[in-house]
Amino acid sequence: MKIYYSQLRQELTVMARNGEQLLLIIGIPVLLLIFFSKIDVLPTDGQSNINFLMPGILGLAVMSTAMVSLGIATGFERSYGVLRRLGTTPLGAKRLVMAKIVAICCIEIVQLLLLTVVGWSLGWRPDGFNLLNSLMILILGTSCFAGIGLTLAGRLRAEVNLAAQNGLYLVLLLLGGILIPNSELPSGVAKIAKVLPSSLLSSLLRDAFGGIQIGISALVGLSAWAVAACVVAIISFKWSD
Amino acid sequence: MRTVMVMIISGQSNEIALSVRNLIVDYGDLRAVNDISFDVYAGQVTVVIGPNGAGKTSTIEVCSGVRAATSGSVVVLGLDPKKDRAKLNQQIGVMLQDGGVYPSARVFEVVAHYCNLFGNKTDATKLLKSVDLLAQSKTTWRKLSGGEKQRLSLALALAAEPRVAFLDEPTSGVDIFGRDLIRGIVRQLAESGCAVILATHELDEAQRVADHVLMFQHGSLIANSPLRELQDSAGSSTRSLEEIFRSLANISKTTEPR
Repeated sequence: MKIYYSQLRQELTVMARNGEQLLLIIGIPVLLLIFFSKIDVLPTDGQSNINFLMPGILGLAVMSTAMVSLGIATGFERSYGVLRRLGTTPLGAKRLVMAKIVAICCIEIVQLLLLTVVGWSLGWRPDGFNLLNSLMILILGTSCFAGIGLTLAGRLRAEVNLAAQNGLYLVLLLLGGILIPNSELPSGVAKIAKVLPSSLLSSLLRDAFGGIQIGISALVGLSAWAVAACVVAIISFKWSD
Repeated sequence: MRTVMVMIISGQSNEIALSVRNLIVDYGDLRAVNDISFDVYAGQVTVVIGPNGAGKTSTIEVCSGVRAATSGSVVVLGLDPKKDRAKLNQQIGVMLQDGGVYPSARVFEVVAHYCNLFGNKTDATKLLKSVDLLAQSKTTWRKLSGGEKQRLSLALALAAEPRVAFLDEPTSGVDIFGRDLIRGIVRQLAESGCAVILATHELDEAQRVADHVLMFQHGSLIANSPLRELQDSAGSSTRSLEEIFRSLANISKTTEPR
């Protein structure tokens, strides 16, 4: 356990020291939440701004940490030879992956608590809350985006990976029903957008916090994304360039 | 440092720590290592020399379990570096050519982390003192000079208190004081019974620490012999490794090795 805790501490320390990553995973979701809840420019499907925004922003926080932050950090670790060097120690792949997952979960807990406090202060009052459903959706979302992030990080050069993660983040943000409901998109784009993992995650979170039964098709879709992304990451990951 | 008790005479022994047979490493169409066989003994410094691209790093990477061989067999301390990696990693120290440290990690924290990974066989402060980096404890990797990075990288390999140490270009980019220090550590390691495999293309440096020499050219071994025997067989006029290498590799002083 000492080896595992040592690696976990290292992961958290390196994450905390990386200002750009912190800005991305904490700053951007909070800023988007405050900005668009105060400025009435978004179509919100007849809901209050904050009630529409909050579930999507929680999904965005999960995507930022599990995909972009993990993916970019892992890509650079691969390129700097950090993973190759760790591979010559008794750490082992299982402890390394576990440390990374737990580090992500720690960051997500901080993010979700912070966003909940900010959202609450901006007037967010969910119509319903089911802890088990919410946890299940967040875990599925985390697995799915971690799988996508590691797939890119495990194959691309660090600089290309950085650009790809950020580009994908922007696409999944704009087409993911997070700020703009998919119903507002052109019909051709909407058809594609609604099967994207960010759309499925934000839709499930909206159901969970809207006090309605969560959509089974969205749940199945996100589960399929999670399994596929993790399997592809495991098969395709290369520990060094 | 660990003491090996098996037939040690003046720090050296005839205990085989690493055995390589018919090793081949291919990268696509390129054959980097071409059917080589050799043994490495505990308590000795075996230097792996040759020009850039001769197959030194590929051989070290296969022996340390970082890379898979295309064919052939490698046995380190009686273990297969790929299949028995978990067991073997507890007993070997590896210094890779690229540092393998996260740029924002601080010197003390990364050494302490590696000490933890190897079960705290040694103390981080003691290790930093031994490579003369105690004053840089709070400096991040990215702010270290080339020589300091090499010394830190060596300290990480020493955290294992290894029975076999793989050191790839440990003196590359290191000043004269750093070289003296690293050479001293390498000799001390061997005297404690560790089998040291040190790859370098700096022949002067190799000659100063070597007990045994493996000379590579174009992926093949052109010499596999104790340094003393290699020098004796070359005759009294050619005592330097550089001259011996030039003679064996058929390279004149005006010809650049490939």
